[in-house]
Amino acid sequence: MSKIVVDNLRKTYGDTVALDNISFEVPAGEFVIILGVSGSGKSTLLRCMSALTEPTAGQVLIDGEPMTSTQPEVAMIFQQHNIIGDMSAYSNALSGGINRNSFFESVLQLQDNEEKQQALEALDTVGLLEEAEKKSRRMSGGQQQRVGIARALTQEPEVLLADEPVASLDPGSAQDVMGYLNRAAEERNLTTFISLHQVNIARKYGQRFIGLHDGQKVFDGYREDLTLDVIDEIYGDIDTEGMFVSHGEDASHGGSTDNQPNPNEGATL
Amino acid sequence: MTDSPDSSRSSSTAPATSQPESEPESEPEPESKFESESDPLPDGGVDESNPLESASAGVNEQFENIRKTRRQRAIGWVVLAVSISFVTIQGLVATEFFSDRTRFTWSHFAERMGDYFPVTTNEIPGLDAGIPFLDVGSYWEFIMSNELIYDPEVGRLIFQFPPYLGDYYAFFFEELGMFTVFGEAGTTLAMGVVGTILGFPLALLFSVLASERVTPFPINLIFRAIMSFIRSIPAIVWALIFVALVGLGAAAATLAIALNTIGNLGRLFVEELEELEQGPIEAMRTTGASKPQVVFFGMLSQVRTSFIAWTLYILEINVRSAVTVGVIGAGGLGAVVATQESRLMFGNMMATLFVIFVLVFIVELFSQRLRARLRSDQEKQSIRELITGFPNRMADSLLR
Repeated sequence: MSKIVVDNLRKTYGDTVALDNISFEVPAGEFVIILGVSGSGKSTLLRCMSALTEPTAGQVLIDGEPMTSTQPEVAMIFQQHNIIGDMSAYSNALSGGINRNSFFESVLQLQDNEEKQQALEALDTVGLLEEAEKKSRRMSGGQQQRVGIARALTQEPEVLLADEPVASLDPGSAQDVMGYLNRAAEERNLTTFISLHQVNIARKYGQRFIGLHDGQKVFDGYREDLTLDVIDEIYGDIDTEGMFVSHGEDASHGGSTDNQPNPNEGATL
Repeated sequence: MTDSPDSSRSSSTAPATSQPESEPESEPEPESKFESESDPLPDGGVDESNPLESASAGVNEQFENIRKTRRQRAIGWVVLAVSISFVTIQGLVATEFFSDRTRFTWSHFAERMGDYFPVTTNEIPGLDAGIPFLDVGSYWEFIMSNELIYDPEVGRLIFQFPPYLGDYYAFFFEELGMFTVFGEAGTTLAMGVVGTILGFPLALLFSVLASERVTPFPINLIFRAIMSFIRSIPAIVWALIFVALVGLGAAAATLAIALNTIGNLGRLFVEELEELEQGPIEAMRTTGASKPQVVFFGMLSQVRTSFIAWTLYILEINVRSAVTVGVIGAGGLGAVVATQESRLMFGNMMATLFVIFVLVFIVELFSQRLRARLRSDQEKQSIRELITGFPNRMADSLLR
């Protein structure tokens, strides 16, 4: 359980401003969705938060501690999952806890049973216990992403960052992965940040939303504040009419935006 | 000149010269289109660039553009061919092909070939004449009497009847005869295998240290430079250097091959490490892994299969280069070739070459099969390609 403060975060690449003085505060345990089109700065924000990218100015504080280098407390899940294809799902999950092992322990898989139990339980959380011995290269995209989540969970983080975890998945797998992420965050009380560009999935799972547009924070609020106008602002001038059919339908019969959409909704969009 | 189509056109203003030039150009076009129009060019040139009668201006413009491009390309090819011939002639002079000292004496060569391939005749009963054929028997006699492929001293321990368990033990643990049972071929094979095994860990270490991701920029060049230096000296020269350390023999050759492996295999590893994906490395960093852990899990795990495949490939090369290194007298089949050559026993030499062919072929077959299994998506090399590609690969390894 960690409170996150992002303080005037700025990142530029040459003349391009990727993040323009972003600030927000997230109390421990919130499930935050970061919305925005490609190039709006979502990835850069998450990379700065995990200290993979060094910000040009400003800082990220986790429980008051500035995030200057990668920490075991902050786990990251990637769009391209970045698991090790030559290793089994189990070995991948086990590699999440690598910071607690010495080099030879990790290379020869000599971790104690507690560690191994943890890895298997993480696989159980993402529904891959049966597939533990399977080579992760041979798994489907959705399964590989779940292995990535299992690895992040074995890391025993307090903060979970996910950079477009479902962008390259089909709608069904995307639902699965989001469901597992949601469950894991709840079970383990993680402060979670997930960047997405599918509004319907975001609305289904999100608790709080941060909208980015051209590197600027254009929205920060909870479920009930996320209106169609806000989405228009986040997604700019593009024609959102056709894009958010489900949103329109939802608004028309549900009225308020905080009702749970039906589970098939993600698949229709 | 090549990039200016106008100048080439003006050179062909005379109708007589334009005719042959137009032939390749107008190939894809129907003849009839070119017969009946007047000269459209402002410069008065009568040449092949007649517009298409029924086509629009846009089509004609594009048609003309395509023709120009084709002409430029043709000129480019001619220039290329001329320059290559020019370079070749200069090179032939430098390599003394036209020198007085170089005389092609085919008769002598043919005579020598006769020594390489001794012929015997098969007596047919009732006839004076026989059918001449290659004297394989003399080859075989040499191969066996010089223990090229089988050492009976060691071999008798396992090839005996009835089998005696104590001798099996002696074979593996006292004689240590796994390689020596194959005689000179076994020595050559061992030189290649041991050289590869000894060179591998250092190749791995050097390549990782030479990678910019592990060692910061200017320092990693040191390791690259070391590997370049090792590579720039052929194994056979390294062997000559190691003679001072261990004396002339297979040990010097093996050390030379091991050292060369660091250079060659390390180079291949470096290339492979350059093409790593950043993703898994970053992923391992976010888990809070230590630097060696990031290298092992983030980097080496990505290249494990290709590293094994490259090592097998280097093993092939090393066995071939064990033959070459042996030529200086460092043991194995190469030394036999050198000895028989200096004794002018060309038949024996040829017999040894056949043994080399079979040995290298078997090693290649083994390595190819294994690599094909490792990379199951990789196209498998057929046996025919293995045989026909052999001279090429042998030549390649001679240059190392």
